[in-house]
Amino acid sequence: MINPVRTLRGMLSGLLLGFAAAAAAEVVVVVSSQNPVEALSRAQLADIYLGRLHRFPNGDPVIPIDQKERSPAHDEFYSEYLGQSPAQVKQHWSKLIFTGRGQPPRSVSDDLAAAETVAGNPNAIGYLDAGLVDDRLRIIAIE
Amino acid sequence: MGKPFTVCAIALFLHATTAQAQIEDTPNLTFNGFGTVGVVHSDEDRADFGSGVTAPDGAGHTRSLSPEVDSRLGLQLTADLTPRLTGVFQAVAEQRYDDTYQPTVEWANLKFDITPELSIRAGRMILPIFMASEYRKVGYANPWVRPPQEVYRVIPVTNIDGVALSHQTRFDRFTNSLQVTYGGRDAKFVGGEVESRDGVTVANTLHWGATTLFASYSRSRLTAEFFDPLLDAFRPFGPDGRAIADRFAVDDTRFDIMDIGAEYDPGDWFVKGEWMRSRSDSILGDTHGWYLTGGYRFGAVTPYVTLARLHFDSDTSHPGLPLAGLPPPAAAQAAGLNAGLNQFLQSVATAQKSISVGVRWDFARNMALKAQYDHLDLETGSAGILINPQPGFEPGGTANVFSLTVDFVF
Repeated sequence: MINPVRTLRGMLSGLLLGFAAAAAAEVVVVVSSQNPVEALSRAQLADIYLGRLHRFPNGDPVIPIDQKERSPAHDEFYSEYLGQSPAQVKQHWSKLIFTGRGQPPRSVSDDLAAAETVAGNPNAIGYLDAGLVDDRLRIIAIE
Repeated sequence: MGKPFTVCAIALFLHATTAQAQIEDTPNLTFNGFGTVGVVHSDEDRADFGSGVTAPDGAGHTRSLSPEVDSRLGLQLTADLTPRLTGVFQAVAEQRYDDTYQPTVEWANLKFDITPELSIRAGRMILPIFMASEYRKVGYANPWVRPPQEVYRVIPVTNIDGVALSHQTRFDRFTNSLQVTYGGRDAKFVGGEVESRDGVTVANTLHWGATTLFASYSRSRLTAEFFDPLLDAFRPFGPDGRAIADRFAVDDTRFDIMDIGAEYDPGDWFVKGEWMRSRSDSILGDTHGWYLTGGYRFGAVTPYVTLARLHFDSDTSHPGLPLAGLPPPAAAQAAGLNAGLNQFLQSVATAQKSISVGVRWDFARNMALKAQYDHLDLETGSAGILINPQPGFEPGGTANVFSLTVDFVF
C-alpha cells in the first residue's frame, strides 16, 4: 500500500538530493590532452569567450566551444568564470553580431558533446562537469 | 540569436570531414534579427517627440501615444563565404522621413581578412562616429530606450557607402580596434535631402577588463539644397547679400565632428559617457553635447539614470541685410529675407538639457522590457530636440516624455 506521507517525503528528499548534486557539480575548463596549454588567466578566458582573444598564450589559434543556453553548465560557466549573467552575455553578442563583427562561439548540446568536440580538436577549449573529464581531456587552471 | 542556420544544400555539398572543419564550417549562413516594440507619450501637445531629425512626426502633437518613435525590426544575414571572406546584409523597417515603413538596407558589405589583424570592407557599412554607432538601433544591446539624442541626433545617418579598413591588435590585456572609413551617403528629411560626400572617419576603441575607451573624428562635405531658395534670394542684394548667402549655404561645405566616450562595466553596475563636438561654417553651425549614464544590476532588473546636454555654439541670430538706403519695395523684401534667415537660424539651433530615469528588466531570454521617463528642459528660444512645432508652441519650455518598450534579439 502506498503511504502518501512517505511518498512525499521520498520525493522531497529526492529533489533535495538532486539540488545538492546540481550544486556540487563543478564546471571545469578543458582542452584536448594534445594541447600544451596548462593555465589561463580569468581575463584571458573571458576574452576568448567574448570574442576578443583568438589565440592561446603560446600563439596557437583558439576555438571556444560553448554549450547551449539553458544547459546546466552554460549558466554556471558564465557566472562562475566570467561573472556575467546569460542576459549580459547576450547583450554583449548583440553588440557585435549586428555589424557582422562576430558570432558567438559554436555551441554544442551538452557536456558529452562538449567533451567529444574538445577531445577531437587540439585548438578547442570548452567547459563541462568535472566528473566527465577523461584522459583525452585536460583541465586547465584558471588563475 | 547565435543559432547557425546552415543552408543544407551548400553544407552537404561542401561538408568537410576533419574536426577542424566541423568547428568552422564555411560557407555558412547565419540569420539574426532584432527589434523593438514600443510606445511613447509626450505631454507637449504642440510639437512632437520623434526618433530624430529625419522623423516626420512622433508623440505629443501627432499622437498622444506613438508607436512610431522606437518600434523597428531588423533582419540580418551573415554569410561566411570562405574563412577570410564574410558578407553582411541587414535590412531595417522603421518610421522613415516619408512616414512609411518601407525597409531600407542598413548594411550590405563584404569583408576580406587580409591578415588576422587587418581587414577591408566595401559596400554599405557602419559610420562609426559614436561609441554605440554599431548597435544604436539594437535596443536590446543598449541600456536605454534609445541613445541620448543630445549626442546621437547630430548625425542621423548610421551608414555610408564606401570602403573601410579595420585593424585589431592585442597587447597584454588590451584589445585595440582602429577603423578608417571613406564614403558618403544621402539622408532624406521631410523637406529635402542632405548629401554627404568624401567623408573620412577615423574611430578607435580600446578595451581592457571592464573599461572601454572610444574616440572618433570625422570630416565630410555636406550639401543641403533645403536652404537654397532662401539663401539664393539674398544674392541679388549685391556684395552684402552674396556674403550672407555664402556664409550660411550648405553647398559642398565642410562638416567636422569629434566624439570621445568611455564605459566602465565591472558586472554589477556600469557607467558610461560620451562627449561630441561638431563644426560647420554654414547655417548648421557649431554644436557640442554630452551624456552620462549610470546603472545598477539587481539581478535581471537594471535601473539607470542619464544626464545629457546639447549646446548650440554659433549665433542664433544675424543682422541680415542692411535696410538703410534701399528703396521701399526692396527694403520690405530684404526685411522679409532677414526674418526668414533668423527663423532658420533659430530652428537649427537645437539646445536643451535632460534628465532621464528608467529601468530595464531582462524578463526572458532574448527580451528586455524598458520603461523610461525623460524630462526635457529646452534652452531659451529653442525647441530642443522636439520636431514638428505647431502654431502656439512656445520654445524654451519643458516637456515630459514617457516610453515603454520591449526589445528582442534572435
